[in-house]
Parts: sequence; C-alpha cells; structure tokens
Amino acid sequence: MQHITPDWLDPLQLADICMSARDGTVQSALTATRPSAKEFAILLSETAAKRLEEMAQKAHSLTMHHFGNTVSLYVPLYLSNYCTGGCSYCGFASDREQRRYRLSRDQVRAEVLALKKMGFEDILLLTGERTPEADFEYLKKCVEVASPIVHNVSVESFAMTADEYEQLAKAGCNSITLYQETYDPDVYEELHRWGPKRDYAARLEAQDRALAAGMRSAGLGALLGLADPVSDMIALYQHARHLQRSFWRSGVMISFPRICEQRGDFSPPYSINDRQLAQIVFAFRICMPDVPLVLSTREHPAFRDGMAGVGISRMSAASRTTVGGYVPEDVDTGGQFSVSDTRDVAKFCQMLESKGLDPVFKNWDAVFQA
Amino acid sequence: MSDIEPETDKLKLGSYEFSSRLIMGTGKFSDAETMLAAIEASGTQLVTVALRRFNPDRVSDDLLSPLSALEGVTLMPNTSGARTAAEAIKAAVLARELSGSDFVKVEIHPNPHHLMPDPIETYEASKELASQGFVVMPYMPADPVLAKRLEEIGCASVMPLGSAIGSGHGLGTHEMVSLIVRDSNVPVIIDAGLRAPSEAAAAIEMGCGAVLVNSAIAAADDPVEMAQAFSTAVESGRRAWRAGIMPQSDAATATSPLTSFLSRDS
Repeated sequence: MQHITPDWLDPLQLADICMSARDGTVQSALTATRPSAKEFAILLSETAAKRLEEMAQKAHSLTMHHFGNTVSLYVPLYLSNYCTGGCSYCGFASDREQRRYRLSRDQVRAEVLALKKMGFEDILLLTGERTPEADFEYLKKCVEVASPIVHNVSVESFAMTADEYEQLAKAGCNSITLYQETYDPDVYEELHRWGPKRDYAARLEAQDRALAAGMRSAGLGALLGLADPVSDMIALYQHARHLQRSFWRSGVMISFPRICEQRGDFSPPYSINDRQLAQIVFAFRICMPDVPLVLSTREHPAFRDGMAGVGISRMSAASRTTVGGYVPEDVDTGGQFSVSDTRDVAKFCQMLESKGLDPVFKNWDAVFQA
Repeated sequence: MSDIEPETDKLKLGSYEFSSRLIMGTGKFSDAETMLAAIEASGTQLVTVALRRFNPDRVSDDLLSPLSALEGVTLMPNTSGARTAAEAIKAAVLARELSGSDFVKVEIHPNPHHLMPDPIETYEASKELASQGFVVMPYMPADPVLAKRLEEIGCASVMPLGSAIGSGHGLGTHEMVSLIVRDSNVPVIIDAGLRAPSEAAAAIEMGCGAVLVNSAIAAADDPVEMAQAFSTAVESGRRAWRAGIMPQSDAATATSPLTSFLSRDS
C-alpha cells in the first residue's frame, strides 16, 4: 500500500548512511561540535557500537553539562484501561481478557493526593484509546482534578483534535506524550488491527496539533522491538527536529519504551538488548544535548541505575501500570505491561543520591500555567 | 587608576550594596549540602533561585528554605520557565510573596532547548516589575541598545549573557559587552556561559560590575573548591580594575622617530 508521509520524514537515506558507517566516519561523528542527522545515523551503526564506552562518556558529560547533577522524577497514573484499540502488542487492547475499570473523579483525586504525599509534583495521566467510558470529557475532568493538586500534569492518551488539545491545555495540562509506536507505515498498519489508531497520519501529526494549541512540550517515542530500530530511531530524530523547527517556544522529550511482557501472545519481531538500547540513548544525547531523555520503570533496576545521568535526565519511579494503584483499597486490574523496577520512591532516590545525582520532584510551577 | 578605595568599593543594586561581586546560581548541584558549602566558599552575598524549585511541600526537594536560612545572603528569585512577560510577572509576584525578597531576576527564555532570552518579553516584564517596586535584574541578549532601554525603565542592573546558559563558551559576546559597559549607568553583570575563573576575572577587568556563575561551579568535580577559585578570580579582577589596567595597543611605540628631520623652528 502507498503511504503519504510528510516531507520531514525520510529515514531511508540516513539508514543507508548508518549501514555504511566506517571507523573514520564514526570518529568524525563522535568528535563533531554540532552533530546533525547524519552523525546521528552514524552513531546508531554497528561500527559505532564498538565504541560504546566512548559514546557513554560523551553522553555523560553532555548530560552533566545541560542538566547538572540532577534527574527529574515523574510518575504515571492510569485512569482507565477501557480501550477500543486493536494494537497487537498491548495488554490493554480491546481483545485482551482484562478486567476493565476506570477511576471516578473522587478516586482520581485520592490517587493524586497519594502521589503528592509520596512527593510527586509531576504526574502523567494515561488512558487507552477513546471509549464511551473514558472519552475526552472524562480525561479533561481528570486533568481539572489533578492540576490544582500538583504542579505539572501531562497526558498520554489518544490522538486528539486541535480544539481538544487547546481545551486540555486550558484545563491545566502542560504536556502530552504520544508514541508513534513505529514510523514504518506498513508495520504500523499491520500491528494496529482496528480502532481509530489505524490512522497513521492523524497520530503522526498529533504533536503538531498539541503544540500549536498551546501545550508546552510534547513527548515522543517509538516502541522498540516492533520494527527496524535504526529506521525508527532516525524517524524519531526527524520527528523531534521537525517539532523543534516548527514550534520554537516548545520543548520535546524523548522516551525509549522497549516492548516488554504483556497479556496476549505477541512476540516482538526485533529484540533490542541493553547495549543496543544504551547506544540509542547515547546517540540521542550526543546529537540532541539539551532534550530531556526519559526512561521508565519498564526497564530493570541495573539498567536504570547505569543510565541515570548518562544520557537519561528524566525518570519515573514507584510506577504502577494498573488502573490507579497508589491507594491501598484500589481494585487490582492487570497492568498494561510488567514493571521491572519495583523499588519505592525512597529506595530509588537513595540509588540516585549514591551516584551523586539529586532527585528533583518539582521542576515546574503551576504559576506558569495560562 | 580608579580613586575608589577597596573598603567603599561596593556593588550597588537599587538601594542594596554588596561587597562580593560573585553572584551564584543554585541549580544543577548534586545535593543541598554541596550547594550550601559552595555558596559559603564563594563568599557570595546574592544568590538566584528558580521559583519552580521552591517546594514547601517537600523539604528535601525545596531550595528556598535552606537558602533562606543562610546568614548574610540575599535571595534573588528568578522566573525561569516563563515564556511570556505575563507569566514572568505572575511568577515574580508569587516569588516575592514566598521569599520576601524584592529582587527578581527576569528570565524569559521561551525556547527550552537553547534558553536564549526573549528581548521583547524581557523588556515588557522588566518595565512592569520596576513600576511595582521590584529590584529588577534582567537576563538579556548582549545588545547595547536593549541594555540602555532596560536601564531607562528602571532596571537595577543589566545582565547580558557571555554565551548560552550552561554552554561554558565563556565571554563570546566580549565585543558587545564592552559597548554595554562603556555606556551603562547601572552595573553590568555577565549572567551565563562562564566556564573558568579566568573568564570571570576577564569580565570584571573589563568593567563588569559582577558575574553570575552556576554550571561552572555546580558541575565541577569539586564544586566547593571551584566556588573558592571563582571568588578569588573575581576579587583579583576587581583589584586589577581599581589599579588601572594598562591600555591595549596594536602598535609598538616607535623608538626611531620618523619626524626628527622636521625642524622644530620651521
């Protein structure tokens, strides 16, 4: 099938550059003062993988330079696991046997208050695809409940219209995160079996609509394991650069979700090991030194500990991927995926501090919200 | 040589006077203890702190309370995070309420990646805040015209960047800063980009009233030692400025005069 993609998205040529990278070009990419897309592609190569330690050193020094000895913390809160989506790889897809549940407004308040008590001031609210149980109005109300309690509220949910993003921003949402999952249109079509998410272009342009509507930042990512990681990471880089060029008052953040165990029988066609994931993070840090790079509790503790401050500048902690989950009397639904790092806030902060990193809970103030 | 005695040589900002000409930023430190130790070692009397790092709900995450407890150190809240004048004004008012300080460092850098100050929004916010009685300290591009405009609306200083925040590229704006210094009636404070104590000394030697340093201290291997090094460099630069630095000249003074053939009488 023919797909029309925007001008800024064209990973093929750069993927070729990556394939043909040699020692000399890797050396130039590693020492470039202002690395561009070409250097980024080269740093993703197998030739560059042989110089992972050097990449780590450079990533570490750039992270220190731009973010200092700090790591910003956030926490996800799943509002609902109702979903109309048919994503083959997701534990919340509509054909999965899963107890479906959504939080009431009072429950949302209780969860947010519980998270605040744990110290969090930066909360990511999540839902599945648009359903009658968890539609736009529901989500907006949840933002209105959370935003007076904590300073920074962001949303990871379905792709919305420009008008909806504007309403969400006015309700107190600062930022949206939306993963393209894969930038390969054919794989995308195959994996998104039904539901509104089948519309590749509508999802691809969601960040543009959100930032134009007044969101302060947009989170991007591709689910690693679904498609060729080199092409997907180059496309992700191009997506971030496109947004930086188009919305100079806004920020982008990049996450590195790696597909993990979930309900259903999906087995990812590509397997990304720790060294490969680390290389991807380092390449982004070297080529986008000031962009927040995010690592969640999907990843196991040893990997998270090693990556903190070495490329990664923003991390979740003490996360639950079940609906709610921070209040003892919560209903136990199954999670969207398994959390690998199950440490509590105090333990996680202790680890950061032992590495000379200051865990920052509040790095924003609600006074800036329009 | 300047006729200012060291004892009376003060940095004057509004109605406030400081003997230290090193202002410190408080972000990027690995923990509060290191930050406080570095502040003490620097001898600074004025520190800036971002409103977004005020966190009265969690003491261990709050920068305001440990800084407020410091003797002999004045707080200068900053509006970092603001994209517009309106946001900066709201932030300044809230910060004054929470900190009790009249100082505000106007920081409006709408692009979160390069953090370059927006001259238009900075001007608008500074004008309003000056009229509300704040001691306004605007972080600004190194633009001599903007510097005069900010002085005219009542800013207590102007704070041109040496280079991009956190870049460590030093005094890249040297030429523009020298024009600002030449014409300014308020202290000129280099606000960003300084990497090494020698660069701070150079800024002070050229007549800047003070320097503001954060990353170079916070991200050093030994922040406390580095704070002390900056303090010495700033002090040294100021002594040199008071002592009167020999003018620079492109040409050597000729030893064999070219006009000796001209008779004095003719």
